[in-house]
Amino acid sequence: MPGLSSGQRGGRAGGRLQRCLGLTTTPPPPCVQPCCRPLCYEQSERRLHKSLQMKMEEMSLSGLDNSKLEAIAQEIYADLVEDSCLGFCFEVHRAVKCGYFFLDDTDPDSMKDFEIVDQPGLDIFGQVFNQWKSKECVCPNCSRSIAASRFAPHLEKCLGMGRNSSRIANRRIANSNNMNKSESDQEDNDDINDNDWSYGSEKKAKKRKSDKLWYLPFQNPNSPRRSKSLKHKNGFSVCTSASNTLPLLFSSSGELSNSDPFKYNNSTGISYETLGPEELRSLLTTQCGVISEHTKKMCTRSLRCPQHTDEQRRTVRIYFLGPSAVLPEVESSLDNDSFDMTDSQALISRLQWDGSSDLSPSDSGSSKTSENQGWGLGTNSSESRKTKKKKSHLSLVGTASGLGSNKKKKPKPPAPPTPSIYDDIN
Amino acid sequence: MCKDYVYDKDIEQIAKEEQGEALKLQASTSTEVSHQQCSVPGLGEKFPTWETTKPELELLGHNPRRRRITSSFTIGLRGLINLGNTCFMNCIVQALTHTPILRDFFLSDRHRCEMPSPELCLVCEMSSLFRELYSGNPSPHVPYKLLHLVWIHARHLAGYRQQDAHEFLIAALDVLHRHCKGDDVGKAANNPNHCNCIIDQIFTGGLQSDVTCQACHGVSTTIDPCWDISLDLPGSCTSFWPMSPGRESSVNGESHIPGITTLTDCLRRFTRPEHLGSSAKIKCGSCQSYQESTKQLTMNKLPVVACFHFKRFEHSAKQRRKITTYISFPLELDMTPFMASSKESRINGQLQLPTNSGNNENKYSLFAVVNHQGTLESGHYTSFIRHHKDQWFKCDDAVITKASIKDVLDSEGYLLFYHKQVLEHESEKVKEMNTQAY
Repeated sequence: MPGLSSGQRGGRAGGRLQRCLGLTTTPPPPCVQPCCRPLCYEQSERRLHKSLQMKMEEMSLSGLDNSKLEAIAQEIYADLVEDSCLGFCFEVHRAVKCGYFFLDDTDPDSMKDFEIVDQPGLDIFGQVFNQWKSKECVCPNCSRSIAASRFAPHLEKCLGMGRNSSRIANRRIANSNNMNKSESDQEDNDDINDNDWSYGSEKKAKKRKSDKLWYLPFQNPNSPRRSKSLKHKNGFSVCTSASNTLPLLFSSSGELSNSDPFKYNNSTGISYETLGPEELRSLLTTQCGVISEHTKKMCTRSLRCPQHTDEQRRTVRIYFLGPSAVLPEVESSLDNDSFDMTDSQALISRLQWDGSSDLSPSDSGSSKTSENQGWGLGTNSSESRKTKKKKSHLSLVGTASGLGSNKKKKPKPPAPPTPSIYDDIN
Repeated sequence: MCKDYVYDKDIEQIAKEEQGEALKLQASTSTEVSHQQCSVPGLGEKFPTWETTKPELELLGHNPRRRRITSSFTIGLRGLINLGNTCFMNCIVQALTHTPILRDFFLSDRHRCEMPSPELCLVCEMSSLFRELYSGNPSPHVPYKLLHLVWIHARHLAGYRQQDAHEFLIAALDVLHRHCKGDDVGKAANNPNHCNCIIDQIFTGGLQSDVTCQACHGVSTTIDPCWDISLDLPGSCTSFWPMSPGRESSVNGESHIPGITTLTDCLRRFTRPEHLGSSAKIKCGSCQSYQESTKQLTMNKLPVVACFHFKRFEHSAKQRRKITTYISFPLELDMTPFMASSKESRINGQLQLPTNSGNNENKYSLFAVVNHQGTLESGHYTSFIRHHKDQWFKCDDAVITKASIKDVLDSEGYLLFYHKQVLEHESEKVKEMNTQAY
């Protein structure tokens, strides 16, 4: 009697169900209520019966008679229903008993915080574009706080990989050498030297060093930035401008220094009027020295500076040192730009604003944009990307044109070749 | 007696252990385990549902402001600040962090650092990157640590300049792969065929190269591991397009407009038998003579994530330019015709449609597209990524905006990332083989 057996089973299942359901807070699904059980239950049962029959026919197990078939169908069906309903109930019961039933609840207010925004002019968080200029990060190499959009160029210099890094390193070394020569009273005391060149006391150091040039404003007269603007101004040779018309100038030729001595400063050379003949001579042995018509200052770049010709350099020397003056033999790597600091930290802090300051003529197009970047004006980096003239780096795998392909002004070894001069530095 | 059902921890623990034992027994008695069976968990390995512990419950109880991630949530999306020409890096990071299987690996904290110092481990950094990008924080992330690590470990990429996104992808995958093994310098014999680090499990496919001798028809086969497939485009000087597009019916449901090249066309060209000219005779192993031969590339093993790279940057002797030809690519891709096993059906270059299209094994779905705007010298990378199953977002460095599928499919396309639709469990036999060989 199949009806009876299924009823019994259903009854038993129903009883268990009710007991479990008493412990939950959700209402039970309607179709397991004993009162409406018969309707959908029996329909589905009939369907299952039919499909079972078909299957059995396929498998040619026609030995079983109809009633047994129905019994099997009912059993299977009851098991299925039990499993899906009871199983669910047991899960809920378990969740309540073990205390994690509440986890499904969410807080609707805080859900709203994360809704995606889809409006023009706003990103998905509802923020306006291009407001991220002030993001900063800490350089893992030198532990200083750097503006995020300038991090890559800073890191390049920090790790010593940039196109200028070796040049700057040489300058620094040459500078410290120069320092030691010109201030003999401080030579012996390393501690004082360190103090002088430490990050905070640059001002003091500069003051001391440039006793003779004391009226120069607090700037490094020789930052590469300066030379760049010099390039833009296209200094003329001294022949055309020097002769009679050079008034005594103080060096603020239009550009002002910032209050922060480490920021880019704009003075473009050395005011030669105040230098004594000995100093001039020593300067001219290591620097280009050509006087810019705009700024009336001497070019502080190397003897091979591409902006000026040898002819110009010769003229300057003759002008200052008399007709017997001769352009000195160009050494390979000394850039005596009289930097004031030997401390790499201070140097790098200045240079972080330089952008990719490559002074070779081939990059004149790009230098302007990097100048903008160097000022930290927060230009959208995409602009500079588009305007920058770039080497072909969008290459296929394996054919990356690395740093080696960049033209260098002159091949500079990272360490100076003559050990004798630099013994005392390291 | 309360006549209630009780749940005792110790008894449940015993039950769990016994169940595990029973399943293991079940697995080892089966002599052959087919793929279909393997796709059901429980054969040899049971994946238990997560259950909270008491301290976790307390903690959760104290924090009632819980959120459930719905499909309109921003969680999982976050901008990346451009550190100075690093848009190429940002795009690759967005693509990798939205690779479903990689995301699952890192968000379930599966990485165990093997490197001597974790600060230098790129995989650890990747892990923290996932954490940052899935934090729900709306302000863009500054990936400076990532840049630093990449420059240290992939010196050829170091330097402040614009770079190629594809090159960065390969270099990053290489460093990640090495660091998964704790190999800092790349000295160990890294044989990707036997490596089971997460990168190799996901990205490494096998490219089969068959060289057929024209005289004796002997075939010499090599299989090389590959992380991506670089495709030539029509219009480049070096490419050769024997088939006019439009001749074959569309295999992958791409909108087939005559004149528009599709990704399938490119793949067909990639896997066509190529006749190596008389100037490139190869010594045949079987007939021991120098003969002309044909070479054919097919996929031997498909990776879980397939990356396609369009060779848009041409560096030939006469010119260097970017090829901007629009290539149409599909949302769903079936790689069956390009498998080594389908080779026989490609007689005379005719592509047979897959007969068993009900088989989902080789079906892929697009989930990330990296685009380049600009010229060879200078340009900008942006990416489209797929999130919440069917929503697409455009990632332009720090700005993420919603995009439509049409935007994605209409874009030029430089790097395409496809994810397998059905993941298979390795059968025990295959696992054994791998571990022995390694």
